[in-house]
Amino acid sequence: MRVTLTGSSPRRLPERLRYGALALAFAGAHVLAQAFAPPEPKLLPPEQAFRLSARALDPSTIEARFDVADGYYLYRDKLRFSVTPGGAAPATLPPGKPKHDEFFGDVEIYRGVVAVRLPLASAAPGRVLTLSADSQGCADAGVCYPPTREQVQLTLPERAGKPGPFVEPARKAWFK
Amino acid sequence: MSTDLPPNPLSVEGSPESNAPIRPSRRALVVGALAAAAAAVGAGVAWWHPRRTASQDGAAVLAMVLPDPDGNEQPLAQWRGKVLVVNFWATWCAPCREEMPQFVAAQARDGSKGVQFVGIAVDDVDKVRVFAREIGLNYPTLIGGYGAIELSRTLGNDLAALPFTIVLDRQGRVVHTQLGPLKAAKLDGLLAELTAAA
Repeated sequence: MRVTLTGSSPRRLPERLRYGALALAFAGAHVLAQAFAPPEPKLLPPEQAFRLSARALDPSTIEARFDVADGYYLYRDKLRFSVTPGGAAPATLPPGKPKHDEFFGDVEIYRGVVAVRLPLASAAPGRVLTLSADSQGCADAGVCYPPTREQVQLTLPERAGKPGPFVEPARKAWFK
Repeated sequence: MSTDLPPNPLSVEGSPESNAPIRPSRRALVVGALAAAAAAVGAGVAWWHPRRTASQDGAAVLAMVLPDPDGNEQPLAQWRGKVLVVNFWATWCAPCREEMPQFVAAQARDGSKGVQFVGIAVDDVDKVRVFAREIGLNYPTLIGGYGAIELSRTLGNDLAALPFTIVLDRQGRVVHTQLGPLKAAKLDGLLAELTAAA
């Protein structure tokens, strides 16, 4: 097999060119490795499969939502929200899609977006609140993620009007 | 760019001061061969990597000590020398429950050949007991609780999801790790290969 990397064939490749050739070789190796690697189902980390965000709708209501990635689902009966300080009325969860579970019987699941309104126990204009969300879900690929709790910090608006911006949980920088 | 680059550690052409410099065509061949070798190594690594765990020798697996459903501490080292299949599971994990009957069947079939399945439940003992009875579990399952998920992460379960299964050969080496269900054909092939080996 004869391989020429460049059109010109200098008697001796300059140092830089040799490093370039090596870099090219490794780039080629990487491409080949990708091509020959067995297809592994690429699974998302749970915080990307089930993305929590929340916003204040007005001084006495917040909205929590999960964006569930395609191919993933959350269990309705594992979804729980709480707000501190002050608390919130029990959330009215939207109906899910029925799913039969051989061990737990008929359960409901959420795919896509699930948004939940949480009426606060009392209006608290300008107050900083912490929303805690418990969730548990699975991937259609055949794995389940353990129950997790995530938290979002929200500042309630001073008066009713435009809903606040969506806020995501603060994560440790090295998870990004 | 700096001019004080270190000597090329991957150089294959011998002394650069050689009196018989390699002709350009041969140099091209050498570089080509290097590229092919690098490609082979790269492909090999890509093939092998998904099954790699944090520790290729299963010492970390065999070092685990967890309680059984009756609360007695069980060191995994008691199964050293067996073909050991360690399965992290939970009742709240439907794919886990679905694959366990095939583990029960494999334990019944290959137990006499030195195969030992061990479950590690990321769960409460009460639910584990109910489910174990339901499927006629014929191998021990230890109770890891939710902490066992972190334990599995140190053994290569980067996503901390279930089911997660580690297969050790008789020498205690990790020969396979699996996130997600272990297909029957894959499991049977592994067990046949590992029980055949002395």
